[in-house]
Amino acid sequence: MLQLLVGQTLNGVIVGTLYGIIALGVTLTFGITGIVNFALGEFMMIGAYVTWYLFDVVGLPFPVAIWPAIAAAAACGFAADQLLFRFTRNNLINGLLVSIGLISIIEAAALLLWTTTPKDMGYVLSGAVRLGEVSIPKMKLVVFALLAAVMFLTYAALSRTWIGKAAYAFSQNPEAAMLMGVRTDILQSTVVVYSTALAGFGGALYATLYSLEPSMGGLYILKGVEAAILGGIGSLIGSLAGGIILGVTEAVGSIYLPGAFRDAYGLIFVVAILLYRPSGLFGAER
Amino acid sequence: MKALLWVPFIVVPAFIQSNFILSIFIFSFILAIAAVSFNLIFGFTGQLSMFHSAAFGIAAYVTSLTASIFHVSFWLALFPAIGLTVFISLVIGSICFNFQLRAFYFAVITLAFSELARLVILNWNNITNGTLGLMVLDKPFVWIPGAGLMKIDGMFGWYFFSLAALIFTVAVCSLVLRSWIGRCFAAIRLNEDLAQTLGIDTFRYKLLSFTLANTLAAISGSLYAFYTGYIEPNYLSINQSLDIISMVLLGGRSSIVGPIAGAFMLTGLPHMIELSAEARAILYGGVLIATILILPQGLIGTLASWRRAA
Repeated sequence: MLQLLVGQTLNGVIVGTLYGIIALGVTLTFGITGIVNFALGEFMMIGAYVTWYLFDVVGLPFPVAIWPAIAAAAACGFAADQLLFRFTRNNLINGLLVSIGLISIIEAAALLLWTTTPKDMGYVLSGAVRLGEVSIPKMKLVVFALLAAVMFLTYAALSRTWIGKAAYAFSQNPEAAMLMGVRTDILQSTVVVYSTALAGFGGALYATLYSLEPSMGGLYILKGVEAAILGGIGSLIGSLAGGIILGVTEAVGSIYLPGAFRDAYGLIFVVAILLYRPSGLFGAER
Repeated sequence: MKALLWVPFIVVPAFIQSNFILSIFIFSFILAIAAVSFNLIFGFTGQLSMFHSAAFGIAAYVTSLTASIFHVSFWLALFPAIGLTVFISLVIGSICFNFQLRAFYFAVITLAFSELARLVILNWNNITNGTLGLMVLDKPFVWIPGAGLMKIDGMFGWYFFSLAALIFTVAVCSLVLRSWIGRCFAAIRLNEDLAQTLGIDTFRYKLLSFTLANTLAAISGSLYAFYTGYIEPNYLSINQSLDIISMVLLGGRSSIVGPIAGAFMLTGLPHMIELSAEARAILYGGVLIATILILPQGLIGTLASWRRAA
C-alpha cells in the first residue's frame, strides 16, 4: 500500500509539472495582457504533434526534434497574438471567448491533419530507476527535471534581467511603466509568444510519456488554469507548486476513490481553495 | 407590436412542406430557447456562466430517464428535471455569488461544476449508458381544444410545439427584463459595486438570473432530447456551451431577438452547405472570433445602431 502511495505521489508530481508549465503561461499572460489564453493547451498539442512527427516519422533524434516543435508552437502563438489577441488586451471576457474560438479551430484542424487515432511515440529513453520498492521510468525523471529547470530559469530571468523588471513594472502600473520607457506592445507580444513556446515545450515532453490525441489540449488547459488559480495568479513559483499539488491530489485521490472521477478531485480542491483563499495559496492577499 | 413578428413563423409550415427545412426550424427554435436564456445571465446580467450546457444536458437526461424508467409522460418528467436544475443552480449560484466570484473566476468555477456534471453522467454507466448515450422513445402529448389529447410526433407537431416553447421563453424573458428585475440586472451588469451601494441586493438578483437562465435551458434540453430521440454526454460538453455563446454573440447580446437570429444562422447555415464536423467546428470558432473582433455588438445590435444613426 505504501509502495503504491509513494509511486502515485511521484507520478502526480511529474504530471503536476506538466500542469505547472501551462499554469506558468497562464499566469504570465494574465499578468501582462490581462487575458487568459485558454488556447494554450492547443499550442501544447501542436508542440507534441510536431515532436512526434519529427521523431517518429522523420527520424530526428529527440534533442533535435524538440526545437522545431517549440518554434512551431511559438510561431502559431505569434500569429495568434498579431491577428487576434492584440485586439483583446485587458478585455478578459473577449480574450476568453477569442481563445475558446481558437481552440475549436486548432482542434478541428488537428483532427483533419492527424485524425482521432491516438499516436504513440517510440521510446526516447528506456529503462527505469529503482528507489527502494518503487520504480520510476527514467524518461519521467528527465521530463520532471527539464520542466522544473525551465520554470526556475524563467523565474530567475524575470527577477534578474531588465525585461523581467519591465514586466513586473508593467504588471504593477502599466502607465507608469510606459512613461519609464517600457515598449509595452513589444513586451505584451513577447509574453504571449513566450507562454505559447512554454506550452510547446511542455507538449514536446508530453509526447515522450503519453499518447497524443487532438483533444488533449482541452484537458491540459483546464488543469493549467486550475493550477494557476490554486497557486495564486501572478505567482510564478505558485504555478509550479499549484501544478504539483493538483497532480498529487488527483493521483493519490484515485487510489482511494473511483478512478473515473480523477479529474474531479482536483476541481473540488480548487473550488475549496478559491472560496477560502481567493488569491490562491501563494498569491498576494487581496 | 412585437408580437406580430411571430406571425410569419406561424404560417411557414403552410408553404414549406420539406421535412429537411422544417427540421432546421425546429432545431433553431429549441436552441434559440437555450440562447435566449443564456443571454439573460450573460448579456443582461453580465456574468459569463459556463454552466448553461450542463443545465441543458442534465435536464435532457433527467427528463428522458424519468420518462423511461417510471413510464410517466413528458410533462410529469419535466418536473424533476426543472426541480433538480433549480436546486443545482441555487447551490452553485450561492457558492459563487456568496464568495464574490466575478468575471473570470465565475466562468472558471461554473466550468468546473459543468465538467463535474459531465463526468458524473459519463461514468454513471448503469443508468446513463456512458459515452454511448441512450435512445429516447417517448414523445410528449398535449391537449388541444377540440382535438383532444395529441401525440407530438412528426414535423408539424414538433414545429408548433417548439415554437410555442420559444414564444413562452421569450415572453418570460421580456416580462422579467421589462420589470424592476431587469433594471436590477442591468445595474449589476453596468457596475456591480455601484448597484450594491444603491441598495440592490446583488446576490439575490444574480442568483435569480442564474437560476432562471438555467431553468429555461433545462426546458430547451428536455425538448432537444425528446425531439432528437437521443441523449449523450456531449450535451454537457464545453463545445455545446461554445455553440450557445456563439449564437448569442453573433446575433447580439443586447436584445432578445439577437440570440434567436444567431440560433437560426448557426443552425441553418451549416445544414444548407454540406459540411463535415471538423469544418463546422472551424466555422463556429471563426464566426465566434470574427464577431467579437469585427462586430462586438452582434448582427442585430449593429443593424439597430445603423438604424438609429440613419
